[in-house]
This record gives sequence, structure tokens and C-alpha cells, in this order.
Amino acid sequence: MSDQTHMHVEHDIAPGDEEQHSVGARILGYVVGLALALLLTATSFFIAGTDLVWQPSIPVALIVLAIAQMGVHLVFFLHITTGPDNTNNVLALAFGLLVVFLVVGGTVWIMAHLNQNMPPMDQIMPMRN
Amino acid sequence: MPAVRTVEPMMLGKLDWSAIPFDQPIPLIAGAVVLVGILGVLAWVVLRGHLPYLWDEWITSVDHKRIGVMYILLASVMLLRGGSDAIMMRIQQAVAYQSQGYLPPEHYNQIFSAHGTIMIFFVAMPFVIGLMNLVVPLQLGVRDVAFPTLNSVGFWLTATGALLVNISLVVGEFARTGWLAFPPLSELSYSPGVGVDYYAWSLQISGVGTLVAGINLVTTVLKLRTRGMNYLRMPMFCWTTLASNLLIVAAFPILTATLAMLLLDRYLGFHFFTNEAGGNVMMFMNLIWAWGHPEVYILVLPAFGIFSEVVSTFSGKALFGYRSMVLATMAICIISFMVWLHHFFTMGAGPDVNAIFGIASMIIAVPTGVKIYNWLFTMYGGRIRFATPMLWAVGFMVTFIIGGLTGVLVAVPPADFMLHNSMFLVAHFHNVIIGGVLFGAFAGFEYWFPKAFGFRLDERWGKMAFWFTFLGFYVTFLPLYVAGMLGMTRRLQHYDVAAWRPWMLVAAVGMAVLTIGVICQITQLVVSIRNREALRDRTGDPWDGRSLEWATSSPPPVFNFAFSPDVRGEDAYWDMKALARKQSLEHEGPEYHDIEMPRNSPTGFVCAFFASIMGFALIWHIWWMVILGGIGAFATFVVFAWRDHDEYVIPAAEVARIDGINLEERRSLVSMAGGV
Repeated sequence: MSDQTHMHVEHDIAPGDEEQHSVGARILGYVVGLALALLLTATSFFIAGTDLVWQPSIPVALIVLAIAQMGVHLVFFLHITTGPDNTNNVLALAFGLLVVFLVVGGTVWIMAHLNQNMPPMDQIMPMRN
Repeated sequence: MPAVRTVEPMMLGKLDWSAIPFDQPIPLIAGAVVLVGILGVLAWVVLRGHLPYLWDEWITSVDHKRIGVMYILLASVMLLRGGSDAIMMRIQQAVAYQSQGYLPPEHYNQIFSAHGTIMIFFVAMPFVIGLMNLVVPLQLGVRDVAFPTLNSVGFWLTATGALLVNISLVVGEFARTGWLAFPPLSELSYSPGVGVDYYAWSLQISGVGTLVAGINLVTTVLKLRTRGMNYLRMPMFCWTTLASNLLIVAAFPILTATLAMLLLDRYLGFHFFTNEAGGNVMMFMNLIWAWGHPEVYILVLPAFGIFSEVVSTFSGKALFGYRSMVLATMAICIISFMVWLHHFFTMGAGPDVNAIFGIASMIIAVPTGVKIYNWLFTMYGGRIRFATPMLWAVGFMVTFIIGGLTGVLVAVPPADFMLHNSMFLVAHFHNVIIGGVLFGAFAGFEYWFPKAFGFRLDERWGKMAFWFTFLGFYVTFLPLYVAGMLGMTRRLQHYDVAAWRPWMLVAAVGMAVLTIGVICQITQLVVSIRNREALRDRTGDPWDGRSLEWATSSPPPVFNFAFSPDVRGEDAYWDMKALARKQSLEHEGPEYHDIEMPRNSPTGFVCAFFASIMGFALIWHIWWMVILGGIGAFATFVVFAWRDHDEYVIPAAEVARIDGINLEERRSLVSMAGGV
């Protein structure tokens, strides 16, 4: 980790600066991203209301499409790549995903268990009568 | 005439003369004293003609060292405010046995709420962020942080939050809900006043400041290291800064979102956390602690870094187990997001959930234990100098182990069911926050003060301050453990149990000793400023330091380093000194170059000015003023974003002149050392 970073310090990019690409290549990248994002969005809306596919598969398909949508945004708009100059961004993304997973997953789990120590309501109700 | 009576509330929202507590002498007198103090200082500044200096060199400064100093100054002033609250609470609990004491309940409730809010958000946070700002770029061998103007914005927004909390002392009231404003108590139906709004808006505004400071410092550590400073050569303080600021970036948005939901409940009739209409108060507990537990580590990790630097320097040895220390730091960074439920074990979750979070809470003590052993082994066999920073470090190790052990105790859910919300808990978290964060802040203050100002602090008063604070801490907080064991709950305005009384009296005596410690600290500062010529640090390396901040003069020039240092290992400056002694020279006729530095900018101050107006207006529902403040802050940003010149050049000749002074001092030091 460390030695690699050291080697790349020389031609690393300062914060706020962007890589120097030609304008044409950059516009092409954004257009492809936009097209893919629109395609995935349209597909989601189509799948949600269709009866052409097996109905229980629809939520799964929507989840898959949503993840693909995130991937498109990350690659084409936020410029996450596997290049060596992008290690920090990839690690930051991984850390962010881990925290979101821990907090959201933990919250769902905790909130689902909150009433464990409450007496069961169906047994209380008859006692009042 | 109803028409006339409706015009006035429209203009100033809920604000009228009844907001000033004319019937309560304590806040009014305190507020008046503070106001006279502030006006006095302002008058002195203006009359002596210091205003241009203050404006050019401090208020608009984007220099990370100046901003760091201002953060620490803010924290120190707020420490006195939060400490006054603590003194008032200790006295109240000492006298309020079978009586009402001298503080009425609604005032006492505001005091403990303000004490917690101020100590965490406006003392501990700015103190550690200030030290990180001051030191990290120097340790990394760079000229500034990644985003200098954003840094200034972050500081001034934090100051805005502190200002709003203090305004609540005389205009309106502060929250009576405790430092985390739990609903449903903090909802409109139970807290209809402006207290919770003061709390929430000051934290929202200062939270933005903290978030930008976090982004800034993460970027600085990841992107701005000098030549050869790879990750595993960074000083330990830079590692803990990285971990702490990663936590800020990950956790503070949770706080902002949670408080935003509370504000929506209060302002727009939403039902996130209300009792009725499907609201769920437990979601607030869950979310606020999902931020709150990482926050604990945001505060204590930088302190761990400070102790690592101090222990290594004053033992004259490299840090023992550097890589295990890095690993422990990053492990804490991750695990701190897996333990938050231990703050509400008692709130109904089943044994599965409680057991898992209990175990995770015990596991997080392991990397902390690794660190303690590393510090002990660093000291082992070293030639230890017990200067003031080292005293704080040793005092920390003893105190923090006790706090950590009681922490592992309350991490056991069945034990926590007994101790939850008791004085035992109060004693525990003061044990870790004072023993860990505050001792760390003081160690860092004593250690880096010569670097920031060019003269050392008086050792005699420093040692007295340490011993009074150290003893005062134990006399104050050990009785609280006992009182908790005897069943005393926290936040009691008065009580009738005879068994608690003696412990409250002892704690009040302890508070007096702690106060003497604070007075010693202030005296130390005054005495040191008076004797500054005798205490002058000419070489820039008063402690025989090991990392790069000691490689430049004290105080460092605005550009920090005339040359970017070339780092060849851990303890970069130690190696350089060893090399220089061998060659008996540091540099031979160096060739200087022009240096570009960021220009000062009033953006931060002006932004915060408008944010203060906006925050105050939001609290009092003065909507036209909210819009005014919002437009002003946005316009400031636009003006900054479109500016043409963002840097100025320091010519090579000037760099040579400034660097030459320090180089002469260092040469004489090296030749002296070579001669012996």
C-alpha cells in the first residue's frame, strides 16, 4: 500500500484538479453514461408495471437494475476507475459502503427487535376484560 | 386593536421582551459580565488600533496554523463556560439534599444540557480539530491543508454554533432535554420553547463546519504528503487524524439528518419521532447513537495520536509497535460503527441484539489495550523526561485504564440494566472523556505550544496544573461511581437519600480542586507570556522531537518549510538530526525558490456572519431574516468562487532571509552537539 503510493506521488493529481482529457472524449463519456442511465431507468419503469415476466422476479430485477444504475453513475459521472491513481477513491467508496451497510443493516435489525421485552399484546388484551 | 398586535410578531417572529429572563438573576448577571467582557476586549482592540492586524492576520487568515490556534482559543473559552456549568451542578447536588438547592429545576435542566452540549461540541471537538489543523500539515512536511479557505469557513461556522449557544443564555432559553435532546421530550408538545431550537440549529451549523474540517483533513493526509512520506512513515498523530476524520465524514451526516428530522417535526408538523401519527422515538435513539458512538472515537483517536507523539519524544525512543498501532487505529475506526446499541441496551431489544452489541463493545477494548501496551513498551528502557506533556500522558494512561475497565463493565448488558442512566455511567464517561480527550488536549497544548508561539510554557505552573487537575478529577468522579452503585440516577435536581449526600459533598470538594487546576493553567499561560524572552525557543526543536514539525522554526514561517523535506523513514526529523550531526551541517548554501501561498479571504468570516443571522432567525421564526441570511451566505460563496487571484508569491530572497535566521540557530545547535 505504502510503497505504491509513494511511487505515484509524483504524477498524482492535486485535490480539485481533474485529469487532462480532450473535450471530445469527456463529452462522449458523459453521453454514454446518460444513455445508459436513461436506459436503466426506462427499463425499471417498464419492468415495474409489466406482466410479461414472472411476477415474484420483479423486485429482484428492480434491485439489480438499481445497483447497475449506481455502477453507471460511479463510473461515468464520478469517474471511479481501477487505475492506481484512483486507489483513494475506491477505498473511500468501500469505506462508505461498509458504513452504510453497518448503519442501515444494524438499524433494520435493531428496530425489528425493539419490542422483544414487551409482553405479547394478544395476551394482555384478554386480561383487561 | 388586533391589527397592530399582529404586525409586531410578524416582524420579529416569536421574539419579544419576554425572551430576556429579567426575573432570573444568575443567567442575566453571567450574560452581562460576558457582554461587558466582550465589549471591553473589542473596545481595547479598536482603541489600540489592533483591528487591522486582527482582521488581516487572524480573522481572514487561511493559514492552517492560525486557524488551529483560533480553534483552540474557542475551545478554551468554551471550556470555561462549560466548566462554570459543571461547578454550578456540583454545588447544586451538594446542597440540594432534602431541599430545592439554589437552582430551580428548569434552570438546572438547562445547565446540564448546556454543559454536555458545550463540552462535546464546542470544547472537545474544536480542541482536537485545532490541534490537528495546527500540527498535521507540519508533520506531513507540507505548506498548508488541502482546502485553506474551506478550513477558515469550517472554523467560523463552528464559532457561529458556539455563539448561538451563548446567546441562549440571555435571549430566550437553552434546551432542558439533556445534551442529545431525546424525543418525545424534545418535540414541540413537551418543549414548546426555543431551547431545543437553539440546540438543534447551533449543532446543525457547527456540524457543517465540522464536516468540512473533516473532508479537508482527510484530503490533506491522503493527498498532500511531502516527498518520501508514504503511509507507513507518517507520524502516529497523522494516522489517528486520518481515522478520526474518516469517522467525521461518515458519522456527522447521520447527526445532521437526525436533527433535520427533529426540526421537521418541530417546524413543519412531521411525525418522525412524535408519540402519535406513527412516529417512533426509538428511531431517534438509534440514529443519534449511530453518530454518537463514532463521535466518542472521533474525539479520543486524536488524543491517542498526541500521546503516541509525546510518549515517544519524552522517552527518547521510536514508538513501540508502530504498525500494530496503525492497525489498532484503523480497527477502532471500523469497529466504532458496530457498537452503538450499547447506549440503549435497556430499551427493549432482545438478547440476540444485546449480546452481539455487548460483545462488539468488549472487542473494541482490545485495540485500545494494544495501544496502552505499546505506550508502556515505548517507555520501557527509555530515558524518560517527565516534562508537563509527559505527565499528562502518564496521568492519561492510569485514568483511561480505569475508565476503560468500567466501560467494559457497562458493556455487559445485564450489568448495564443495573447501571443505565445512573451516576456510575456519568462517572464512566467523564473518566474516559476527561482522562482521555481532555488530558490529551492538554498534553498536546503543552507539547505544541512552543511550536505555535515560539516560547515554551512555564514548567512549574504546568506541573501544578497537572497535579491539581489529576487529583481533582479523582476526588470528583470516584465518588460518583459509588453514588451510582447506591442507586443515584443522573440529572437529579434534588434528592432525599441520606446515603448519597457524603459522596456529593466529596465530589464538590473535588470540583474545587479541579478549579484550582484550571486556575493554575491560566496562571501558567500568563506567567509564560510575561517570561517569554527567557522561555524563547530559538531552534524550533525544544523537546528534541522526532517528527517534521520540529524541523522548522518556532513559530513556523507562513510557508512552513523553505524546502519540501525529503523523508527516508519513520521519525523523519530524528533521522535528519542524526545525519546532520554526522556531517555537522544541515544544508550547504541552499538555493531558494519563490513560494506561492493562498491569499487570505474573509469568506469564512462573512459566511459565518450570515449563518449566525440565519440561525438566530430560524430559532425565532423571523422568516424574512432567514431569507436575508441565506442569500448573504450564498452570495459570499459566489463571490469567492469567481475570484481571479487566489495565490500570492513570496520571493526567493524573502524565503532565504526567513529561513536563514532559523538555519543559523540550528547550525550552532549542531556544532555544539558535535563538540560535546
